[in-house]
Amino acid sequence: MPIFEVSHLVAGYGPIKALDGVSFDVNAGELIAIIGANGAGKTTLLMTISGVVPARSGSIRFLDQPINGLLTHEIVRLGVGHSPEGRRIFPRLTVRENLQLGGFTQPDRWQLKRDIAEACNLFPVLGTRMNQLGGTLSGGEQQMLALARALIGRPKLLMLDEPSLGLAPLVVVKIFEVIAGLTSRGIAVILVEQNARAALRLASRGYVLESGRITLSGSGPELLNDRRVRDAYLGE
Amino acid sequence: MHSSASSTPPASASRRLQLASLLRERWDLVALGLLAIAPLVIPALGGALGGQVTTLFIYCILALGLNVMVGYTGLVHLGIAAFFGIGAYSMAILTVPMYPFQMGFAAAAVISTLLAAGVGLALGAPTLRLRGDYLAIVTLGFGEVVKVTLRNLEQITGGMKGLNPVPPPGAGVTLGGVDLGMAFAIDPRYFYYLSLIVLAGVVVAMRRLENSRLGRAWVAVREDELAASAMGISATRVKLSAFAMSSAVAGLAGCLYAASLSTTADPNAYDFNRSIMMLCAVILGGLGSIPGTLLGVAILVGFDTVLAPWADSWIQQMNINPTGSSLLSFSGWRLALFGLALVLVMRFRPAGLVPSRRLAAELHEGQT
Repeated sequence: MPIFEVSHLVAGYGPIKALDGVSFDVNAGELIAIIGANGAGKTTLLMTISGVVPARSGSIRFLDQPINGLLTHEIVRLGVGHSPEGRRIFPRLTVRENLQLGGFTQPDRWQLKRDIAEACNLFPVLGTRMNQLGGTLSGGEQQMLALARALIGRPKLLMLDEPSLGLAPLVVVKIFEVIAGLTSRGIAVILVEQNARAALRLASRGYVLESGRITLSGSGPELLNDRRVRDAYLGE
Repeated sequence: MHSSASSTPPASASRRLQLASLLRERWDLVALGLLAIAPLVIPALGGALGGQVTTLFIYCILALGLNVMVGYTGLVHLGIAAFFGIGAYSMAILTVPMYPFQMGFAAAAVISTLLAAGVGLALGAPTLRLRGDYLAIVTLGFGEVVKVTLRNLEQITGGMKGLNPVPPPGAGVTLGGVDLGMAFAIDPRYFYYLSLIVLAGVVVAMRRLENSRLGRAWVAVREDELAASAMGISATRVKLSAFAMSSAVAGLAGCLYAASLSTTADPNAYDFNRSIMMLCAVILGGLGSIPGTLLGVAILVGFDTVLAPWADSWIQQMNINPTGSSLLSFSGWRLALFGLALVLVMRFRPAGLVPSRRLAAELHEGQT
């Protein structure tokens, strides 16, 4: 039973169609991967779902409710979290303030405290840097902060845009470990990655996005063994 | 790691360090204490100087209001004086004898503050899509419109004469045999204490806001609007609330201003110069910094209204300038000095004289 469904989505900038009829779905507690080259439309897809880029046509449904046309913050409040490309932490706010902002929609301040403590459990390094400014963290720590901040918002569906970008291999392993654990907490995940191999290993299903169209889809292992995927994205 | 610098200093230096850290952490209580006893030990505060310092406190409140928009939320506002004026004129209309309302000070102040907030919302709602320069132009235009309207609506605002007399707080109330209204009218120290108390209240409120959910949302929107909306923050609503808060505090300052002068004065008191002066004070002191904003006002307005007239009269008394040449009058050089000071501060302390906690922390990164 899909909790999230995109069909025939078209969006773009000016005369350019960045998305040209994209359709896919996500089941409850499922992790799907969307892979594709630079400029394929991956980031635009997430931005359109979030309502940052307006959809020209097509529909986006979350929990049997249409969400296209809603404002970004309304979509977030429905439970669609978005950790945007480039992490976008608040560099001049402390780690604690970043996490508090992640729980902006949490009205219960004691619950927010517990959620922040839990996030620090997940990423112990954040607990030791609570009063440090976000901008002074290393790239890996910033990604952990971005992930922790997104989780504190208690999303039902979390969209992650290139979480491994620019990180050291060991940090990537740690980040992917946490992402793999999200589904066991009942969070559905849309993982957008250039690191196709790592993403497809985690994903139960994957989609290949090329020039704004889904050209291929299948289970994670199917795509990992697909000739075309191996040639184009796995560098073999 | 900077631990080597903190190896045991000599005793006198450590005492000086203690004093410095006391000043940094408890500057507010130290300043409040000094200002509270000042009228008891400085007799001049019972005269014209008392009125000047009261005006200084009122400008501090105005600048703290402006700081909500410019400092916390990062929205350029060039028309804050308009809201100062709206507060002052609304105060006057609600209290002067020529109108039927003739309310007490407190009720009129509450209504005027809310009115200013309402006007702020009305201006903010259609203009919030604008950013940076464009918003600056809208606020600049609004400031001029309000000033010209106040001048031209003579039947209501009294035109260039302004509205007066605005009765002092507590008019007709006797407390322990003292007619409060008379006391306020005669002794400037009453207004000194009233505006000091309001200023202290605004400082406390601003501090609490800084660490509140709303205060964090203001800063988040300033830093990165997209990331803020990904947190579930409605940038529109957050900016509107900053607009309303700024306007309300400016309106409150306007109420005190009209009451302390017992007139709205003429509409030129609420012109572009006033807005710019306040903006300069906030930038000079440090955007988003409460102590910085207060220091900025103390320096700029203090220089303008206290030091410059004093220096002029000193030059006259010393007979340095018998021919009355404007080259030798201090006031003639006032704006040049003012400009020079701004340029120097921006060159050597771009984050302001007392940078906000966040900016200060940025300069000391690595310390925990």
